[in-house]
Amino acid sequence: MILLEGVTKVYEGGTVALRDIDLDVKKGEFLFVVGPSGSGKSTLISLLLREQRATRGKIWVAGKDITKMPGWKVPHLRRSVGTVFQDYKLLPNRTVSENVGFALEVLGRPHSIVTRQVQQVLELVGLQTKGDRYPRQLSGGEQQRVSVARAFVNRPPILLADEPTGNLDPATSVGIMRVLDRVNRTGTTVVMATHDHAIVDAMRRRVVQLDRGKIIRDETRGTYESVNGRNDA
Amino acid sequence: MRRLMFLTREAFSSLRRNLLVVSAAVVSVFISLTLVFGALVLSELVRENTARWQEGDHIIVFLNDVPDQTELSLQEEIQSWDEVASVAYCDKACAYQEYKQMFADQPALLDVDPSVLPASIRIKLHNIDTYKDVTYQLMGNPAIRKVVTASEQFDQLSAVTKALNRLALGLAVVLGIASIVLIANTIRMAIYARRDEISVMRLVGASNWFIRVPFLLEGMAQGLMGAVLGVIAVWAGQSYLINHVEPTFLIRLSVDRGFLVAWSLAILVFGALAGVIGSTTGVRRFLKV
Repeated sequence: MILLEGVTKVYEGGTVALRDIDLDVKKGEFLFVVGPSGSGKSTLISLLLREQRATRGKIWVAGKDITKMPGWKVPHLRRSVGTVFQDYKLLPNRTVSENVGFALEVLGRPHSIVTRQVQQVLELVGLQTKGDRYPRQLSGGEQQRVSVARAFVNRPPILLADEPTGNLDPATSVGIMRVLDRVNRTGTTVVMATHDHAIVDAMRRRVVQLDRGKIIRDETRGTYESVNGRNDA
Repeated sequence: MRRLMFLTREAFSSLRRNLLVVSAAVVSVFISLTLVFGALVLSELVRENTARWQEGDHIIVFLNDVPDQTELSLQEEIQSWDEVASVAYCDKACAYQEYKQMFADQPALLDVDPSVLPASIRIKLHNIDTYKDVTYQLMGNPAIRKVVTASEQFDQLSAVTKALNRLALGLAVVLGIASIVLIANTIRMAIYARRDEISVMRLVGASNWFIRVPFLLEGMAQGLMGAVLGVIAVWAGQSYLINHVEPTFLIRLSVDRGFLVAWSLAILVFGALAGVIGSTTGVRRFLKV
């Protein structure tokens, strides 16, 4: 589903964010990307979204080589990749339903289908009664659920999450993780960048650890910190 | 079709949501296009009025007592010149009539033999600026006694006309450019205020055109609204002038209706175009992939 071959990203000024990354994420996998700030997690996510281009190497997302993709095709790429960010990125002057439906309106779906799919996905994230609220009337956890709902409403094969629990307390974070787990069970590949130890340790999914732009660990049922003498990869 | 409806709905709901910025844009278009249109009307008024002042005979050629045949051929020759619009002949009897009229209040001068008054040819020119050429061509002809023109007045009048026209047109051009810049800038501000919305649109995979179209419609609507207000203002100003000022002046204040209609349409198109150009340049920088 996602494949990186020898990917290097050097920013202007010479900062190397990623060094020679090889990574293969299969369909339906749930992958944590962990590491300290500045280790390259966010750069990896933004390369997968083609917000930036890799300096060297090849990246395939959903079967397409996005390093060669012309700019006008990028919107199509983003339709097959849902995204969730630490700061939710909701539109404050639209209701929850409108925020979620926005992703479908953009694709030109008929109104009846938009209404139905929005309702379905709001049920999935547990917000079916709050469709008419505005983002400012919701708690942080609820807002993040709205953003997961928006990322998932058109059923993309891939969902990318960049520190989705970064602004949330531990209890609320668990709720978000349940939602992401549910999304993953529908067959969606989930890639989540995080430095939340508790969550990674509780979920026991594949963990890729980055350090100064290099992959230093890749475990199929990993924890946040590497455990000596134990390596499933 | 559905998409188009969605986009139009988006454009209008965003006009409603950003009322303050939108009214700033509309007002700036309104003011600058009113000034542009006003300057154009002013230049047209100058043109119409000076054209009126230029009516009448421009050159009078007094003739010696020569055979009718010579007079006729001279008249035909003058008529054939490019600069000349029309030629009228005034014989001795006609000259006597004019003389009587001119000195009607001085009976002592009226006792005069019609045969001593010279016949003349009166010339109207297409463009009074050419009077010198025509006068020069007439000089030296033995049949001609004297060539008379209001030369100084001609020079003054055409200088004034040119200066006023240039001033008004220059004003219109400068204000036109200013209005495009103003519109572009205001729409850019409106778009900058909504960069989050654009980034979300890009995030969920909206194509560039999908993002752009509502802004273009919005810009066009703003430009058009401003232009409509400007056109209304100029028409209102015009009719106010005609109704309240004209009777007290010698100067004409009403411009040709065809001129007003044509330029009103042009101003509307210009407003809409300026809106589209403004929003295109405004959106572009937020659409870079």
